[in-house]
Amino acid sequence: MNKLKIALCLAVTLALAGAALAEAPAIGAAAPKFQLTTIDGKPFSLADAEKANKAVVLMFIATKCPYSNAYNDRLRQMAADYTKKGILFVGINSNNTEPEAEVKSHAQKNKWDFTIAKDPGNKVADLYDAKRTPEIYVVGADGKLVYHGRIDENYEEPTKVTSPDLKNALDQILAGQAVSKTETKAFGCTIKRA
Amino acid sequence: MPRRLKRGGGQPRPYALRFVGAAPAAALFVAAAAAAAPEAPKLAGEVDAEGYAAAVAKQKGRVVLVNFWATWCVPCREEYPDLTRLEKAYRDKGLAVLGISIDSVKDMAAVDKFLAKMKPEFPNYRKASGGDDQIFIESVDKDWGGELPFTVLYARDGKKTKVLSGKQSFDTFEAAVKEQLE
Repeated sequence: MNKLKIALCLAVTLALAGAALAEAPAIGAAAPKFQLTTIDGKPFSLADAEKANKAVVLMFIATKCPYSNAYNDRLRQMAADYTKKGILFVGINSNNTEPEAEVKSHAQKNKWDFTIAKDPGNKVADLYDAKRTPEIYVVGADGKLVYHGRIDENYEEPTKVTSPDLKNALDQILAGQAVSKTETKAFGCTIKRA
Repeated sequence: MPRRLKRGGGQPRPYALRFVGAAPAAALFVAAAAAAAPEAPKLAGEVDAEGYAAAVAKQKGRVVLVNFWATWCVPCREEYPDLTRLEKAYRDKGLAVLGISIDSVKDMAAVDKFLAKMKPEFPNYRKASGGDDQIFIESVDKDWGGELPFTVLYARDGKKTKVLSGKQSFDTFEAAVKEQLE
């Protein structure tokens, strides 16, 4: 009987480990659904957000990462521009080294008024297999992942950006077109998991 | 003309310079250092995707561990001392360690300070500015998302055998290296 219990425990543990290490959702696949509480104390549900918007931009961000912070102004501007057009921007902080109070003051300092939530236990980062900050996932109104990658190719000089990949993807979504460049890469800070 | 980076102490370069890349903005070179002077380690040069491949290929016959780091990356700074320890322990057994800094030009003072503090006895390069980082990232490993730190291992025949994403312990580095050296 004890052996059976041990075997069951082992099976459950392995299943949970397997779930935690799930592969990143592919472009065109259903974006994993999740719920979080925003830093304003409001509930956020991806499933509900998809229904209410033309697209949802999930942004894994940080307070201390220089690569992520280089995009603070650009994200504020993009969120302001695209929210008017029906696209929701959601910042997700999965770093266990950055507490909610720090995330909140960072958002205030940068005048971010888009939705921001802490991801306790980096569960959402695990669902998406997000590895770095900043890292972007765009979910279409049909709930499918349509873009994964960077904001643009030049973190240092916003005025010299030649490949505004996130902006291009959003413009194509708004124009009813398929996103032409669905996967991009850039350097970034590792998400500090619990 | 490619820009030559200064080496500490004004010492002569015991290695040849090699052009890499085509774009003038990324007109870069690989300076394959035999070993940086322990008392004043400096960057051995800059590499683009081609330069990186050349730097690894130059070590053929040895197990190569390449670590991508940046001064602004806390876990990179934390694991770096383990790499200097690992290199000292296994260099005579056939290990070559290469460091690739992802710092930008404006961070060069921090890079010099970091190397002076860490005193690596293996060459460190800087990823050259310019060009699209995605090309460089995918040239190293197609599954690498660009997160730092990141470590790649090559067998003695130059074949890539393992990648390690994020901060690693000395034991993990050592086990990966020993597996290749055996």
